Amino acid sequence: MTPCAVTTGFFTLGKCGQMAVAGCPACGRAVCADHLADGGLCPECAAARNRFGHPSAAAAARRRVYRQRQAQYYGDTVYYSSFDDYDRAAFEPGAAADQDYLDDGDDALVDS
Amino acid sequence: MHRAAYLAFDRFPSAKGSAVHIRHMAAELFDRYGGGLLCVLGGGELPAYQREGAVEIVRFTDVVPNLLDRAGAFSRWAADRLAPHRDTLEICHVRDPWGALPALSTGARLVYEANGLPSIELPYHWPLAAPSTLAKIRELEEHCLQEADAVVVPSRVILKAVADRGAEPDRVHLVPNGADPVPADVPRPPTAPGRYVIYVGALQPWQGVDVLLRAFARLADLTDLTLVVCSSVSPARARPLRRLAERLGVRIRWEHQLPHADVAAWLAHAELSVAPLTAGPRNLDQGCSPIKVWESMAAGTAVVASDLPVIREVLGDHGRLVPPDRPAELARAIRVLLEYPDACRDLGERARRHVEDGFTWKHARARLAGVYDRVEAH
Ligand SMILES: [Zn+2]
Ligand SMILES: [Zn+2]
Repeated sequence: MTPCAVTTGFFTLGKCGQMAVAGCPACGRAVCADHLADGGLCPECAAARNRFGHPSAAAAARRRVYRQRQAQYYGDTVYYSSFDDYDRAAFEPGAAADQDYLDDGDDALVDS
Repeated sequence: MHRAAYLAFDRFPSAKGSAVHIRHMAAELFDRYGGGLLCVLGGGELPAYQREGAVEIVRFTDVVPNLLDRAGAFSRWAADRLAPHRDTLEICHVRDPWGALPALSTGARLVYEANGLPSIELPYHWPLAAPSTLAKIRELEEHCLQEADAVVVPSRVILKAVADRGAEPDRVHLVPNGADPVPADVPRPPTAPGRYVIYVGALQPWQGVDVLLRAFARLADLTDLTLVVCSSVSPARARPLRRLAERLGVRIRWEHQLPHADVAAWLAHAELSVAPLTAGPRNLDQGCSPIKVWESMAAGTAVVASDLPVIREVLGDHGRLVPPDRPAELARAIRVLLEYPDACRDLGERARRHVEDGFTWKHARARLAGVYDRVEAH
């Protein structure tokens, strides 16, 4: 039996592990009947395709969308545009307090 | 189409306290609204998309090196994720301005959970941030806090900081963190040393772990005693403290990024748990509701912690308070408690009962449900 390789769980993640019935044609991972999504894809590839037509086009599409939406979506755009290059410079990776704290790609603004 | 969304500029799940918090708060939201959309940071092995019953999880995975750019990109990405649900979205629950901005653009009601404030927190990680930049970030915070239908804070200290930023007092609600009781018979971790004092959490300078190491160096005569550090960050990020521990010759054992469930067992079998937070503005002005303290209490382990308003709020008189940033005082408090194991056990037991009586995650969720009730009623 080939186990389903889709990641599941909310706080504790693991592989689904049910018997796979297909391989995702986009990424090749084994998928069970429960996780089989539109077009015989795994859920992740199906979500990406629904959004952008094809996964490989995703990044380009997203960049395009950002540029357009940045202007049209927000009444709050002003808050973003008010950060200039001088503001941004302090937040380059090399400007962090201690490089040793950055190895995990830690994005959190607030640590508990 | 979802009725509720939870947005966090945090990686989820992760080994950090923030992830435990998100887990419980989001569960309350999604239980109440029949599922919902969770927008969080991804990376590592985390899938970009998951569907768990009626909950959809989407993770931001773009690599954007500059933090401000990354935060902005997350906001725009989140706005796109929310857009298809505009007609049905009733409520958005956020933790930071980067989630609040796209949430506000939907017109849904906004619950802003302020566990920390970037204008206070960021300078610790980004010391080159100019006062004028921090002022802009503060302005952004103020905008989001003032627009929110409810602001949820974990402590009175941050309640004050939020009020200073113009949040209407009758919209600010206190929901302390909590912890779930640890079964009394939880087995001892197989690799646990004989007698040990424990620290659990992250290792940023304001956590005061260096103070704890210096205190421990003064306990070298207690040859059967080990310090266990359950770090929520990787060994690479612990490097400076590991070097310090070596230099001080501290008997120490490092455990990195243990699953949350394992930490409870380490806590339960420790002689003492230490929360040596420093007295900097981060802890004094912003505060927190340190999950490590709640979890130590829930495990029935006596806590020795820095005497800060935010700690006094959590621990009350169910633990031993010591002046912050004073290794000698901390060492003395640890030594005294170890010399009186009965008193120590009693302290731990009382702390456990205090949590069970009012500060489990079930209690926190009920308080949050009360906030949602009020938001819906308006
Ligand atoms: Zn796939
Ligand atoms: Zn499956």
